[in-house]
Amino acid sequence: MGHDVAAQVRSYMFVFGALLVLTLVTVGVSYLRLPETPAVIIGLSIALTKAALVAMYFMHLKGEKPAVYWPLGLTAFLFVGLLVSVLLSEGDHLFGTEFGDAFTKE
Amino acid sequence: MEIPYTTEVRPDTGLTNPKLGIWLFLASEVMLFGSLFSSYALLRSGAPTWPVQHEVLSVPLAALNTVVLIASSVTMVMAWASLAPHTAAVRAGDGEAEARSLKRYRLFMGLTLLGGAIFLVVKSIEYSDKFSHHLYPATNNFLGLYFTLTGLHALHVIVGMIVNGFLWGPGARMWRSEPERFANRIEVAGIYWHFVDVVWIFLFPVLYLL
Repeated sequence: MGHDVAAQVRSYMFVFGALLVLTLVTVGVSYLRLPETPAVIIGLSIALTKAALVAMYFMHLKGEKPAVYWPLGLTAFLFVGLLVSVLLSEGDHLFGTEFGDAFTKE
Repeated sequence: MEIPYTTEVRPDTGLTNPKLGIWLFLASEVMLFGSLFSSYALLRSGAPTWPVQHEVLSVPLAALNTVVLIASSVTMVMAWASLAPHTAAVRAGDGEAEARSLKRYRLFMGLTLLGGAIFLVVKSIEYSDKFSHHLYPATNNFLGLYFTLTGLHALHVIVGMIVNGFLWGPGARMWRSEPERFANRIEVAGIYWHFVDVVWIFLFPVLYLL
């Protein structure tokens, strides 16, 4: 156990460094004032990477049991479903489609 | 009545009950914050105009708070790592290992509490700056979402600090009587604290940078 934890502590320091670098990168990219779509994709990708590092290493999700993965997987699925269903109501506005008109046109 | 499976693994789940419990609780937290993030996405995408967020809010202060919260996650996991390898020695009555590991644990847990406190001080500076410029939750949709999301997050920081404060102080007596159970408590409290960090990792770009 002692040896395992020593190895884990090394990985914590590596993750700490990676999180600091990614924070710098995300702030740096925001000063480039990119158009909205690439800015959102880059910003959220960096946030997802940071969150995954924290979850896998600090929260010990790496190598965790299926009894944790299953409820979390279901939660992720429901969250994405919630986000997508809410955004679809703005689909015409966001993606330039005209589905909404089908209900208003004669 | 003794609480079952606090330290030994439950055969059907392969986990201790506190570990499964904290993850189920965090699943509900994902949906709580998820509904607010979805509201943000809907209100922003449907708005004809939206404030330039980095001009309304302070990116340097939020970046500082991001670093503070990440550092406090590291000290939290170090607090757990200070105890976990020594549970067997403490149970066997090794007084020196018990005192040494407890001292190291208290140092790291104290630093975690300090990180939480710094985060809240910086957040209150940001809030009072907004209020002094007459920027309130009712001013516009963006500020309504900003105060709701960061306020709920700050509430989670406060709750985490109360739990961690207990575990730093009176709760630490368990280290001598039930070392495995205490180390598990620190791990579970840590999983919650890291979740609070993860929420901020998303709040920072969404509210300040994008």
